Amino acid sequence: MTEQAMRPQFMGARVKRVEDPRLLTGQARYLDDIDLPGMLEIAFVRSPYPSARITGMELNAVKSAAGVRAVLTFEDCPILLWQRDSYQVGQPVLAHNEVRYVGEPVVAVVAEDRYQAEDAAELAVVHYEPLQPVLDMVQAIEELPRRVHSHASNVFYHKEYTTQGFSDAFAQAPRHLAATFRTTRQTAVTLEPRGTAAMPDPASGRMTVYASTQSPHRIRGDLAELLGWPENQVRVIVPEVGGGFGMKANTYPEDVVVVWAARHLGKPVKWVSDRTESLLTDVHARDDIHEVEVAYQDDGRIIAIRDHLMADGGAYPAYPFSGAVGETSLASRVLTGPYQIPYIETVIDCTYSNKTPLGAYRGVWGPIASFVQEGIVDRVARSLSLDPAEVRRINMIRPDQFPFRNAAGMIYDAGSYGESMEEALRLINYKDFRVRQSALRAQGRYRGIGISVFVEPTAMASSEAGSVGYESVFIRVEPTGKVTAAMGLGPTGQGHETTMAQLIADQVGVNLEDVVILHGDTDSAPFGGGTGGSRSGPIGGGAALVAGREMRQRLVKLAAHLLEAAEEDIELGHGQAWVAGVPDRAMTIRQLAEIAYTHVKRIPPGMPIGLELVARYQPEQSVSFSNGTHIAEVEVDPLTGLVQVVNYVVVNDCGRLINPLIVEGQIHGGVAQGIGSAFLESLRYGDDGQLMTTSLSDYLLPEATDVPRITIEHLVTPSAGEGGIKGMGEGSLIGAPAALVGAVSDALAPFHVMVDRLPVTPDDVIEWVTARV
Amino acid sequence: MNSKVPLKLTVNGETFDIEVEPRWLLSDVLRHQLGLVGTHVGCEQGACGACTVLIDGKPERSCLTFAIQVEGQQITTVEGLTRGEHLTPLQESFSAHHALQCGYCTPGMLLTATALLEQEPHPTEQRVREAISGNVCRCTGYQFIVDAILAVAGDTKEDVR
Repeated sequence: MTEQAMRPQFMGARVKRVEDPRLLTGQARYLDDIDLPGMLEIAFVRSPYPSARITGMELNAVKSAAGVRAVLTFEDCPILLWQRDSYQVGQPVLAHNEVRYVGEPVVAVVAEDRYQAEDAAELAVVHYEPLQPVLDMVQAIEELPRRVHSHASNVFYHKEYTTQGFSDAFAQAPRHLAATFRTTRQTAVTLEPRGTAAMPDPASGRMTVYASTQSPHRIRGDLAELLGWPENQVRVIVPEVGGGFGMKANTYPEDVVVVWAARHLGKPVKWVSDRTESLLTDVHARDDIHEVEVAYQDDGRIIAIRDHLMADGGAYPAYPFSGAVGETSLASRVLTGPYQIPYIETVIDCTYSNKTPLGAYRGVWGPIASFVQEGIVDRVARSLSLDPAEVRRINMIRPDQFPFRNAAGMIYDAGSYGESMEEALRLINYKDFRVRQSALRAQGRYRGIGISVFVEPTAMASSEAGSVGYESVFIRVEPTGKVTAAMGLGPTGQGHETTMAQLIADQVGVNLEDVVILHGDTDSAPFGGGTGGSRSGPIGGGAALVAGREMRQRLVKLAAHLLEAAEEDIELGHGQAWVAGVPDRAMTIRQLAEIAYTHVKRIPPGMPIGLELVARYQPEQSVSFSNGTHIAEVEVDPLTGLVQVVNYVVVNDCGRLINPLIVEGQIHGGVAQGIGSAFLESLRYGDDGQLMTTSLSDYLLPEATDVPRITIEHLVTPSAGEGGIKGMGEGSLIGAPAALVGAVSDALAPFHVMVDRLPVTPDDVIEWVTARV
Repeated sequence: MNSKVPLKLTVNGETFDIEVEPRWLLSDVLRHQLGLVGTHVGCEQGACGACTVLIDGKPERSCLTFAIQVEGQQITTVEGLTRGEHLTPLQESFSAHHALQCGYCTPGMLLTATALLEQEPHPTEQRVREAISGNVCRCTGYQFIVDAILAVAGDTKEDVR
C-alpha cells in the first residue's frame, strides 16, 4: 500500500491545550486532592543531624497521642532501597541505627489527619550520638574525615576515559590554561510538593497507589520489587502532577512507607510533603566540581580538554539512579558540546557525603557541562584577546561533518550549530554591541553578553525516567468513531494530552477534539518509560505517529472494501473516508467503526474485528541531538552586586515541532530556571552539615520581575526518527546558565572577572570587583 | 487548642456554617472542609502564592490566614471565578496564550490578576510583572502569563502576539 502524502492539519499548529479548562477552573485533581473515606495521613519524624548514631527512641507518648493509628520504625518496615549490589549501599526507608543526612526519615506517624500526625510526631524522642559529618567531596575522595558508610568507600563511582593520542596532542599544543568550575546544590522545587497515597482494594486485594511521579510503570515495578509483591497486584494512578523536572522520577523512601502502611493497616494512607521537607529531602542536584586543563592554539582552536569531574552524591544513591552518576557520566561524554575538540581525558569520582541524595533536575548533566564548555571557550578567547563569537566559529562542528563523532565517542546527528549562533548574534545585534558596551562602560555601567551554543542529547535509550528505549500506544477507535489512546508517559505539565492527540488526529483523520489521550494509569496504559530525558516528544510522539498510521491503514482497508475502491484511492480526513476525486462515495469514520464492531460480517476477510491495536516505536538511533544558541545581555551593578537580564534571545532547533506554543512555553520556563540557576538558587549547608535554606524565603526562585521578555526563533533540522521530532524539554535550562554567567564575565571584564561558579551571588560580584579595583 | 468553634464562612457568594479548630488554616478549611481543592498549597510559608484567594476582593495568602480570621468577609476562590460553563475572558486568554503548564500556580495567578485588573484595567507590562511577582510559577517563565493578562487588559502598547 502506498503511503499517502500526509497534509498534517494539527502537527505544527499552535493549538490550545485540551488540559487547560480543568486547570483554569480549579477542577483538576492533584495528589493532595485525593480524599478517600477513612484515609489516614502520615507525618515523618526526621533526622535533625547530618550524621549520628541512634541510641534509643521513646515513642510511647506518640503512640498514645490523639488520633494516632500506628507508629512505624525500621523494625516494622525493614526495607532497603537498592537491595541490589550496585552500590553496596541501600537507603533504609526509615533510618536504621544511624542517620546520614538532615531530613532522613526516622519514624513514620500514621494518624487520622495531618494535624494530629504532626502533633504526635512532635512527641517523639530520639536519642542521637552525633558523628563527624562528611561534607567536602574533595576530602571524601581521600576517605576523610571518615567513611559515610563504614563498609563502603566514599567513592562509589569512578570512571576514566581518554581519547587515543590525548597525551601527545595535549603536550604539543602551544598554549594551556587551567580552571576549576563549581556548581552549588540546587533542586527542582516543583510547585506541587511530592506526595503518595495508597488504598488497598478490598474487592480485588490489589493495592492502588496514587503517585505524583513522572514514571508510572517504573514506580509500580519498584514498589512491587521492594515490597515483594507481584507486579500485577499494584496499580499506579498518577493524578494531575504539578511539575516534575526530573525530581519526581525517583522512588523515595516515603513512597514505600506509605504503601507498606496502607497494606498493614488495611486503610487508605496519604503523605504529602510540606515545603521544608521538600527542600530537605527531594533529590538535590548540581553538586559538582570540574577541574579542567585546556590545550589550545594561538588562533583559538581548542585541541584537548582534561577534566576531573567530581560530584557529591549525598548520603545514599537515590533510587533507582544516582544523580551524581548521571551528572558526571553524561557530562564527560558531551563536554565538548558543539565544538570539534578532538581530544578529551576525563576522570570521574562520585562520592558519598552527609547530605541529601543527589538525583535529577532538568538537564541533569547539561547545565553543568555547558557552563564548563562555554567557560573554556570564553577563557581561551580572553587569553588571546579574540572575539568570543569568533573563537566559537573556529571550533564549531561544520554542517558537512554530520554525523559527527565527538572526542568521547558520542555520535551527533545533524544540527544547525553555526547557523543557530549566527542567527542569535543577529537577533541580539551583536555587531553593534561592543560599541554600546564601551559607551556604557565610560558611564560606569557594566553590560555584557554571554553566548551559549548548546547540544541536547534527547530520546536516549535510558533516562532518569527509566531504561526503556521505546514507547507504546494502545489506540482504539470507539464504536462511535471517537479515538482513545493510552500511553505510559508521565506528563507533569508538558501538555501530552494535546500534543499526542495532534499527532494521532492527523493520522486517523479525525478532529483534535475527537481524540482522548489517557496516561498515568498502569491498568490502562501499555508498559512505558515515563517522562524524562526529553523522550516523550521524539519517542512517545513517534509511537503516537506509528499507532495512528497503523489505525489509519486499518480504516483505509475497511473503507476500500465497503466503498468498493482500491486502498490507494481512499482518503481520510475530518472524520470521513472517501474515494479520491469522488467525494460522494464517502463514509464517516463513525459508520466505519460501527461496522467494525457490530456489523462484523461486512468486514473484509482476514481483518480483525474491532478497531484496537498496540503499537511500539523504538528509534533506530540511540540518541538524537537538539541544539540551539542562547545569548544573554546583562547589566551588573558593581555596587550592589545585582545582575539584571536586559535582553535574551534563543534560537532553538528541536527538529520538527508538534506544537510551537508548547515548545516556546518550555523554552521560556527553562530560561527562567536558568536565571534561578545562574543568580538565585542555592541549597547552602553550614559547616555543621545543616541545610540552611529550608524555605522559599531562603531558597530564592525567579519571580516575574526577574525574567525578561525572551525572543525565540525556531530552526528545523529534522531527526531521522518518526516525524523528524527531537526532544526539547531540557535544552533551555542546559543553555541558559552558561549564557547568563558568561554575560557576567563579559560585563566585568574590566575587573578581570571570569565566572567560575553557579550561582553567582551579589556577594560574589562585590568581592570580585572590590578585590580587583 | 483542638476544640472546635462554630464559623460562618462566605465563599464564592455562598455561606457555610461549619465548625473549625481555631488553628486551622483558611487553605485547609477551603480544601478539606469545603472541598474547594482548586486552592493549592505550595509552601505554607507565604512565599509562593499558590494558595492566593481574594478576601474582600484583595489577594491574600490563605496559608497564612486562619479560617476564623475571615468570618463575615467575602472569600473568592478559583471555583468562584466562572459563572456556569464558560471560562472568563482572563481564563480564555490564559489558554489562548499558553499561560499555564502544570497548572498548580494557575488558580492563585488568576486571582491575583483578577484583582489587579479590577483595580487597574489597563496596567503596563511592568505593572503586571510587579503585581504577579508574589506568585511563583516554575513552568512558564511568566512571559505568556504576562501576555495573557495584557491581552485582556487591552493594552495596545504591548506586544501580545
